[in-house]
Order: sequence, then structure tokens, then C-alpha cells
Amino acid sequence: MVLPAVGASLLLAGCTFEQSALHPAGRDAQELSGLTWFMFAGAVVVWAIVMGVTVYAVLGRKRRRTERFADLFILGGGVAFPTVGLAILLVYGLSLLPNWTSAQAPGLRVHVQAEQYWWRFAYELPDGSRVETANELHLPNDVTAEFVLTSTDVIHSFWIPALGGKMDLIPGRTNLLRLTPTKAGTYRGVCAEFCGPSHTFMAFPVVVHDADGYASWLAAEQAPATSGSELFAASGCAACHTIRGVAETGKVGPDLTHFGRRSTIGAATLVNTRENLLAWLADPQRIKPGAAMPGFASLPETDRAAIADYLMGLK
Amino acid sequence: MTGQIEQEVKRETGTGTDLWRVIVSPIVWAVHFLFCYVYGAVYCAKAGRDASLAGPTVIIIGATVVALVLIGLSTLHLWKVRGRSLTDDDFEYEHNTPEERHRFLSHVALMLCVLSAVAVLYVAIPMLYLTSCR
Repeated sequence: MVLPAVGASLLLAGCTFEQSALHPAGRDAQELSGLTWFMFAGAVVVWAIVMGVTVYAVLGRKRRRTERFADLFILGGGVAFPTVGLAILLVYGLSLLPNWTSAQAPGLRVHVQAEQYWWRFAYELPDGSRVETANELHLPNDVTAEFVLTSTDVIHSFWIPALGGKMDLIPGRTNLLRLTPTKAGTYRGVCAEFCGPSHTFMAFPVVVHDADGYASWLAAEQAPATSGSELFAASGCAACHTIRGVAETGKVGPDLTHFGRRSTIGAATLVNTRENLLAWLADPQRIKPGAAMPGFASLPETDRAAIADYLMGLK
Repeated sequence: MTGQIEQEVKRETGTGTDLWRVIVSPIVWAVHFLFCYVYGAVYCAKAGRDASLAGPTVIIIGATVVALVLIGLSTLHLWKVRGRSLTDDDFEYEHNTPEERHRFLSHVALMLCVLSAVAVLYVAIPMLYLTSCR
């Protein structure tokens, strides 16, 4: 039952264009898709010219050409045209380079730490403190968000095709990326640099809200969990996972404070349903090879069910 | 008239070009490339992420002009040796004579000059679009 769920989410992704650079929902993506279409149109024109000349050369009437014509043809078609054409593309591409400076403060700052194979997101509040969450990004519409990107293990790449270009996350370095969503909706971000066997299972939903929706999401995310679970601690979950207000020592794995509100499990690997969660708890490796979380098949089934119910209830 | 004959004789007996002249323009390209990138990297490493690039832009435009002048001088010299046609219908490289060697090498070198000049320009263009070290 686990695999059909993955298949269904893939099919769904194909239909809703949630991960498409050609359906832009952000300022940068809009500019980049303009460049893409410009290049595509240019390629069609060049292809038509080359094919036309080829057909003419093979089928056309043979006429003796002067040496001067040959010189000009080679100079024009072989030197001037590619040089000027590539220069135009270069200049177009360069004109899209981001040109902000640190003096222009972003509307929002999110610290992103990539780990094999998930995303640690920490929202910086106006007072400098941070709200930590994982594997699901929420952004306000029409606000420039700055992503402070780093990695703990290998090189990853942070890419939300619907919003803009990608940027690498490199261990020991901090890279900055700014994106401005322009259309509310749900999109999909991915790791765009091969980082290990579960590279393809390292994605995250991106929800772009209007201002009010974002404010209420953040307020709810900031709040600690309302209920605790003895089983969660007794089974060892708390050694790696933090649930704010309940168990705050585990820092190795994703924060689960409001797990029940998230739409996916395991960094967009599975749809967040009770059934999928039970399968995940029993054997994460089978679903996501190389995931650091051990399987808990050794726990009694009733305990796993109770933990799953507890996690699903963390709204 | 006498000048033309002298030039013709000079060509046929072969003081035209040598390997050094073939590689001079790619060397100018390589040095210009390294200068632009190394200078830019050192400048930004010292000045920090938000530093303006107005000063380096002027210096790199200057370096580009110098590189293009050097390539231009080389091109001018080669043009005299090489002969008339780009597609070389006027000449068959089938004999082991000094003139053929020189004209062939000059032809290659001239093409490299064109390539190097374009490459130098492409290296310099991004500088016109960058405003800060970020």
C-alpha cells in the first residue's frame, strides 16, 4: 500500500504542475521562464535556417558561387552569427543575475540546513529567535524570503522550480538565496544535487499563503505541542526527535512538534496518512534507503499504533 | 611595384610566421582570463560580499583593451603573410615549401586570433553586468 501512494503523488505532481519551472509562481521563475521560451524560439529559428540551407544545398539548383561568396558565407554564418547569437544569450542571462545587497533587508529569513535526506527549516522571528520545523516550507505571498543555506554532510541543492533558481548547500559554507513568490498555492521543492541513495526522496512541499494565512500558520507553528506521550519517550523516539513542550533533547532528526499538520512523511516521500506512518515506523529503510532512522518493527504493534495516533494528533 | 616584389620574395623564402606567433593570441586570451578571474577573486575576498565593483570594472575594461590591441597587432602581421582568401581556393597546401608552411601556419594563427578576440570579449562582458561582489 505504500508504493501506490508514492505513485499517486507522482501522478498528481504531473497534473498540478507543482514542480514546474514552466509554470512560474515567483518573480525569479517568471524571468527564467522568459529566458527559456526566448531560447526555445531562438533554437527553432536556428534549426529552421540550418535545415533550410541543408535542403537547399542537397536539392537546390547548382550554381557556381564566387570565392568571395564562400568567404562571406563562412564569415557570416560560421563566425558572426554564432558570436552575436551567443553574446545576446549571454547578455540576456547576465541581466537576470540577482542584484540585491545586504542593505536591502528581506521580508523574512529562513535558515535551511540540508541533511541526508531531509530539510531542517528554522524561521527567524523579528526578535532574532528561531522557530524550528522540518520538511515543509510555508511562505507569505509577495514577500521576499531570504534562505540561509548550509549542509551538515554532503553537498545538496535547494530548488523550488516554481519560485526560482537553485542554490547549493555546501558543508562549512553559508550561501544566500532570495525568492519572491507571486502566486499563492502549493508547490514542491527538491534536492537538486545528487546526495546519496535517497536523493530523490529528499523533497518538501512549499505552501505559499496570503499574509493572514501565513501569520496564522506561523503563530500555530510557534506554539508548543499540547499533549505528551509516555510511549514516545519510552520507545526512544525522543532521543532523536524534538517535540517542543514535551521532549526537547533530541536534535538529530526532524522536529515533530506539529507533525500532524504536515502533508508528507519522510521529506515528501509518503503522503501523511496513518497507514503510511505505520509502515514508516516499522521499516523506514524499505521506503527510504539510507535513511538514518532505525526501524521499530520490534515494538508491539499496539505501541506503534499508539505512537502513530499520537503523532497524527500533533496539529 | 618594387615593394610588392620584395614582399613576394620574402614570402616565398619564408620569414613569415613561426609557432610562437601561432600561440601568441591564445596566450593573451589565457593571461587575460586568469587576470580577470584571479584579480576579481582576490579583490572580493578582501573587500567582502557587499563591496562595489566599480573600480575593478574599469581595470578589467582596461585589461580587455590591452589584450585586444595585442591580438590586433598579431592579426595585422599575419594578415600580410597569409594571403587573400579565407577559404583558400587560391592555394593548395600540397608542397613542402617555406611559403606553404608559412601561409598555412599564418592561416591557423589568424583563425586563433579571431577566436581569442571573441573569447576575450566574452570574458569581459559579465563584468559589465556585475555591480557587487555578492
